[in-house]
Amino acid sequence: MIEKKVDIAVIGAGPGGLAAAVSAKESGADVLLIERNPFLGGILIQCIHDGFGLHLFDKNYTGPEYAEEMVNRLENAGVPYLTNCMVIDLNEKKELTVVTSKGLMKLIAKAVILAMGCRERTRGALEIPGTRPAGIYTAGVAQNLVNIQNLRIGNDVVILGSGDVGLIMARRLKIEGLNVIRVIEILPYCSGLVRNRVQCLEDYGIPLTLSSTVIDIHGKDRLEAVTMAKVDRDFNVDHDTTEKIDCDTLLLSVGLIPENELSKKAGVNLDNRTSGALVDNFYETSTEGIFSCGNVLHIHDVADYASNEGFFVGEKAAEYAKGKWKHSGGKPVKIGNGISYVVPQYIRNDCNEVELKFRVTQPFENVRIIVKNGDDVVFKKRVLKVIPSEMNILKLKSIDPEKDVEVKIVIIDKNIN
Amino acid sequence: MAQERKIICILCPNCCELDVSYEGKEILSIENDRCPRGLEYASEELFNPARTLITTVPIKSRNWKTVSVRTTKPVPKSRIFDVYDEVKKIRLRAPINRGDIIIENVLGFGADVIATRTVKE
Amino acid sequence: MDKIHDIIIIGAGVVGCALARALSRYKLDVLVLEKEDDVAGSTSKANSGVIHAGYHKKPGSLKATLNVAGHSYFQRLSDELDFPVKFIGKLVVAKKENEIEDLRKLMDRGFKNGVKGLELIDGKQIKHFEPNVNGFAAMHSPVSGITSPYLMCIALAENAHLNGVDFVFDTEVTGISKEKEIFVVQVSNGSIYRSRWLINSAGLNSARVSQMICENDHRMYPCRGEYYITDKVDTLIKRLIYPTPSKDGVTLGIHITPTLDGNILIGPSAEYIERLDDTASTREVMDKLKRESSQFLPPIKEAKFIRNYAGIRAKLFHPSSGVKDADFVIEEDESIKRMINLIGIESPGLTAAPAIAEKVVGIIGEKEALVDDEKFNPERKAPVVFEHLSDDEKARLIEQDPDYGEIVCRCETITKKEVLAALNNPLGVRTLDGVKKRCRAGMGRCQGGFCTPRIVEIMTDEYGISPEEIYKNNESSNMFFGKVKDDREEG
Repeated sequence: MIEKKVDIAVIGAGPGGLAAAVSAKESGADVLLIERNPFLGGILIQCIHDGFGLHLFDKNYTGPEYAEEMVNRLENAGVPYLTNCMVIDLNEKKELTVVTSKGLMKLIAKAVILAMGCRERTRGALEIPGTRPAGIYTAGVAQNLVNIQNLRIGNDVVILGSGDVGLIMARRLKIEGLNVIRVIEILPYCSGLVRNRVQCLEDYGIPLTLSSTVIDIHGKDRLEAVTMAKVDRDFNVDHDTTEKIDCDTLLLSVGLIPENELSKKAGVNLDNRTSGALVDNFYETSTEGIFSCGNVLHIHDVADYASNEGFFVGEKAAEYAKGKWKHSGGKPVKIGNGISYVVPQYIRNDCNEVELKFRVTQPFENVRIIVKNGDDVVFKKRVLKVIPSEMNILKLKSIDPEKDVEVKIVIIDKNIN
Repeated sequence: MAQERKIICILCPNCCELDVSYEGKEILSIENDRCPRGLEYASEELFNPARTLITTVPIKSRNWKTVSVRTTKPVPKSRIFDVYDEVKKIRLRAPINRGDIIIENVLGFGADVIATRTVKE
Repeated sequence: MDKIHDIIIIGAGVVGCALARALSRYKLDVLVLEKEDDVAGSTSKANSGVIHAGYHKKPGSLKATLNVAGHSYFQRLSDELDFPVKFIGKLVVAKKENEIEDLRKLMDRGFKNGVKGLELIDGKQIKHFEPNVNGFAAMHSPVSGITSPYLMCIALAENAHLNGVDFVFDTEVTGISKEKEIFVVQVSNGSIYRSRWLINSAGLNSARVSQMICENDHRMYPCRGEYYITDKVDTLIKRLIYPTPSKDGVTLGIHITPTLDGNILIGPSAEYIERLDDTASTREVMDKLKRESSQFLPPIKEAKFIRNYAGIRAKLFHPSSGVKDADFVIEEDESIKRMINLIGIESPGLTAAPAIAEKVVGIIGEKEALVDDEKFNPERKAPVVFEHLSDDEKARLIEQDPDYGEIVCRCETITKKEVLAALNNPLGVRTLDGVKKRCRAGMGRCQGGFCTPRIVEIMTDEYGISPEEIYKNNESSNMFFGKVKDDREEG
């Protein structure tokens, strides 16, 4: 058994973990970054499309380019890292059990940063009836098989879910010569970013069918067809609107789930809304000295934001490891009308400055985003459009942490205006 | 003869749905634009639409089967599959560095096809 | 193929596998023909894996006697063949007072069948045993247990194979004739196999297979059972939770089964269907499974489901005809000598399988002397399960072989070494489902999302299998249509 001590262990080398490792190291901590893949960068490596780095590097990078920029920063900072190594256990005492090709490692850390990312919702989680043939892939798996493994996953493709990965894959498969028949979305609006809808679907004439879902799967060995039907506002299926679509491949792009199995082993409490850890504004979880950032905390829309979160968390974890502050808990942030979640979920009582990240429950037009601190309105902004697929970030400069903080959406009455 | 088209400007999260009226290579009127960039975007989309091609190239390497590539700048949208066909002819061997030019000035469009990932061995 | 086998077994479900293993201790040349790509390819793989105590069936019936006899084999089989069994006990729960009478009848049957340890408990005792379970009273059966139906089949088949039995997969029997006392078995690829004895354990197809040569009026009524499986929730229940059986007596009712790996199975339902191969799940039944199971176990509503699936029972009766049950058919045909038909082997078929096998051995043994094979090795070792080991053992294994140091399946913590062992299985099954059944890679909450690309890579790079030849299960279930771009350098 290999034994090792470190100030900070960072689990996962995607956009969040890479940034956290860099900033923890630059803050003077002794860091070890652990990645289960044989390479650094996490999911970025298979995201060969562009749109990365606009915020962080002011460049329009592809995923692999963004990853390489981050890895360069990691190497410049001199952060040691392990690839092909997986943390299989973690406890409250911040002891990690790591499987490596050189042996089993016991790693004792003063602080741990969770950055394990997320997994995709599967057919089983969606509970789609029908047969169980080959040819049903989640969009991210398809992305790996096509972009990394160079494998042709099918010929005639239907995509369920208009999440960003699904839209990106629609274009990728179309470019590689597959017949992308249509994208089906259960919501009455596209759940991915508008620019992806425009550039991935409309550019290539791929139809998007809203308020519809797949209600049956056909084909015993390889997928042969799916049955699509309309749904109402409450997602009840209208069985008079069924349509059978012949296809040999079904891609599922229906949501990502933060992967917190390891977090749970360390007693970290989770938020039912995000499926990620409950954290305070230093991104410390309910388990003292364990921090969380990136998609394992909440699903981000843009990799740059996950990295920014990582930079912040790395610094905070380094401060904690040096004993600069203690676990606090803090006051819960209230979630008001129109808001689906807010991260952080708690505000420490020793902070006046806080950054809040949140998403809305549905698309809104012409509304005010309002934050109240006690009875005071501390933030007010009119927005023309706000949609669930985009994460909103706002900074509050001087709040009273003893009083409640509430985020809400207020619809502007056009008549008064 | 004036023509009308709806164009969604994707330059910012507002994603304005522009109603554009144009004739020949001239925009006559634009509506629902919330900022001046809308006109610029609409003009490009109408008269000069271009896209970056992103795909992969098979590679002989110890650990990798592909390397990802892209054009250094957008190429005419209508010719994207012609550019793809050029890339499809390419096979590579490691080592490859990020930024290595795979095809110079592809089809004369002034864009190079470059590797977007380093493959050391 | 002029070779004449002593015995051909048609079907490598749990009965065929148990029989192959039972026969492998004798000096016999045994061949198993299976239409699917693997053992447990049809009904057996969608079994709850419950080792029944034996109180359900009519005293004196084959179902009752072979169940109780079969149960007694399991511990020894598990010890010899290294597949998991756990006698976790069962509660048959009465929701209302008026169901207690049914529980008493069940207990009475159990006593007559020779089942040990049955006791009636009240609602308070239910809570003591199973705090999350609601019920008025229950019958507690301490000897009921669970196994993994496919690991059991694999263990039986691998040991049979080790002792000389051949298995041929993806091979469906299409015709049977008998020439000069020798069976001539035609199969789907046009080949012909010959044998002195022919044993029909073709499960759902057993009636049809028998009628390829025998004259009988057995008819199969396929009865589908749908399941849900949850993510690991091992604190919810410790025992099997069953409802009091329905009055029609057709099935055991929708029950809740903790699996050996900490998941929970809900089901199976029971719907008579038209086709023998219609294993599609349906919305209506999926909803029903949740509804009915939550009556006993309310917290199951909150569970996260990772998969739904269905299997089909080989029933010899349809309740519309008024028949409530039909016994197993286990007999040598009256006119076609040395043709043994095993027809209508449904619940408790898995539990009974070892006893069915012994009964068939007995039928053969009456006709000819069975000579013990002194080379017979009753033991088979299962591949290492890394996750079950202590840290010290894990560390030692990684030092021995670095392939234990690469986790391929994150959800179930399956190492590359285990995937390689699964691919290298003695039966030569090399499909993705084959890997999944053997080492659990892909059975977890991400359902193969993370590990499928890596397993495919191992299959193509280390076994030289082309992408087109990677199958989910049988040869029509290809995963890929070649490569995205031709990677041959000459292009």
